[in-house]
Amino acid sequence: MGGAARPWLTGLIVPVLLGVAWEAGVRFGLIPGRLMPPPSALWHSAVAMTHAGELQTHVAATLWRVLTGFGIGAATGTVLGTLTGASERARLLLDPTIQGVRAIPSLAWVPLFILWLGIFETSKLALVALGVFFPVYLGVLSSIQDVDRKLVEVGRVFGLTSFGIVRRITMPAIMPVWIAALRSGLGLGFMFVIAAELMGASEGLGFLLLDGQQMGRADSILVAMVTFALLGKLADGMIVGLSRPLLRWQDTVRARL
Amino acid sequence: MTLLTIEHLNKTYADGTEALRDVSVRAADGEILAILGGSGCGKTTLLRLVAGLDEASGGVISVGGERMTGTHRTISAVFQEPRLLPWLNVEQNIGFGGQHLSAEERSGRTAALLDRVGLAGYGKRWPKDLSGGQQQRVAIARALIGHPGILLLDEPFSALDPFTRGSLHELLLALWQEMKPTVLMVTHDVDEAVFLADRIVVMQPRPGRVHETITMNLPRPRDRISPVFDTVKRRIMHAIDRSLGEHGRIGLRQAAGELSPWW
Ligand SMILES: Nc1ncnc2c1ncn2[C@@H]1O[C@H](COP(=O)(O)OP(=O)(O)OP(=O)(O)O)[C@@H](O)[C@H]1O
Ligand SMILES: [Mg+2]
Repeated sequence: MGGAARPWLTGLIVPVLLGVAWEAGVRFGLIPGRLMPPPSALWHSAVAMTHAGELQTHVAATLWRVLTGFGIGAATGTVLGTLTGASERARLLLDPTIQGVRAIPSLAWVPLFILWLGIFETSKLALVALGVFFPVYLGVLSSIQDVDRKLVEVGRVFGLTSFGIVRRITMPAIMPVWIAALRSGLGLGFMFVIAAELMGASEGLGFLLLDGQQMGRADSILVAMVTFALLGKLADGMIVGLSRPLLRWQDTVRARL
Repeated sequence: MTLLTIEHLNKTYADGTEALRDVSVRAADGEILAILGGSGCGKTTLLRLVAGLDEASGGVISVGGERMTGTHRTISAVFQEPRLLPWLNVEQNIGFGGQHLSAEERSGRTAALLDRVGLAGYGKRWPKDLSGGQQQRVAIARALIGHPGILLLDEPFSALDPFTRGSLHELLLALWQEMKPTVLMVTHDVDEAVFLADRIVVMQPRPGRVHETITMNLPRPRDRISPVFDTVKRRIMHAIDRSLGEHGRIGLRQAAGELSPWW
């Protein structure tokens, strides 16, 4: 939009200005550099941590947790949402329970997960999966119920079986909502992985946050935060990129931008 | 094979609405039958029952002597709205009507039909990028690709402007002459019915039933602005006027008896 050659550059203006102001503020002694290390200091820390191989280890640990937990949560959310969306009986049987569980703030599960599953990987994956599960489940359930009856009738008139209707009408019809649900699930996955890692971990970006706090190193806290932002944006961008060819048919304002 | 008989059909909806009472209609092989009638007299209900989308409360629908239950491969439909699948392009939408065809057969017929309905070169477009009339052309092609024995049309042109509608009438007639399906067409438009139909069934409301069946003796091609066309239209209008009873008069001033008889 706006005729700019690279519209995404517009989005960089504010962060770059803030970074410059911050850097200048520290140089002129207006901002305490030890508590609020400027971009240049963060860059040096990040480079040093990368040379030591430290940052990669943390990133790998966190990514593995998020993606595995996301996979489990998204898969169960999709399957259960499809089941309750497609079958009245399954909905009556399962949905009240699932909604009831949803009313418990997910972080309240932490002590129980640790008690049941130990403080190592399993409890962390369970927490991430739980966080991802709900938005995906709700999205799939409601979008299946919102599928246009008129299009389902087209499938029936032209001789599709029930399975054919699910495959050729329901699935493409819910695709936009499903992808949006995956994206918000992934966002929650990142949120919950921090919670999980703050509870106790020996590696991971969440551990880096906690470690930075205990060691009084604002720079490693900020490096961890920026890395989270980059990973989150990257993962979200991957979902968007992979789904784009599947959604080109949409007639929405967004698609026209 | 494609003789359609509807005998003593009843339909009462779950809420107690009696939409059809004892409706019997026969359509001969390759005939175009138009169903006319005021709003709420059960026209859509009748088509949905024949399509197998709803279940009758009583009565029998049979195709070529075979009793129908549910949807049937030989019956296809064009709805009031195009109802194209938005995630399929034009070609794929047309192909969707030929589920039972082999892949080569489907793509061959799709290409031929695209050309026939005047959309050659539009095959890769999304439905959202077509006009209403173009979408309805795609819907017609989709309904015909499987060479149905019976084609159901529920006011397929009512949302279009008169010129688009006129050209789609011509298109429909041309395709009908090639493939000769039996056509059951619901419409509000007397002009449309007289232009297309071999016979017109006028229905009356509350509960929906057949008021009168009128055979068109007009040879094809028909001329919409010829005097005889007008005379037939007037006769149909009077039948509709009568079917609506005291509360539904449609503003006819000249009595039916004053018309010069054409039949
Ligand atoms: N699903 C339904 N449940 C209950 N009543 C219904 C249902 N569908 C239609 N009806 C009723 O059945 C009657 C016939 O409806 P139908 O849609 O068949 O009329 P129609 O002749 O097609 O009318 P129109 O010309 O306005 O499209 C109406 O009184 C309508 O209110
Ligand atoms: Mg109707």
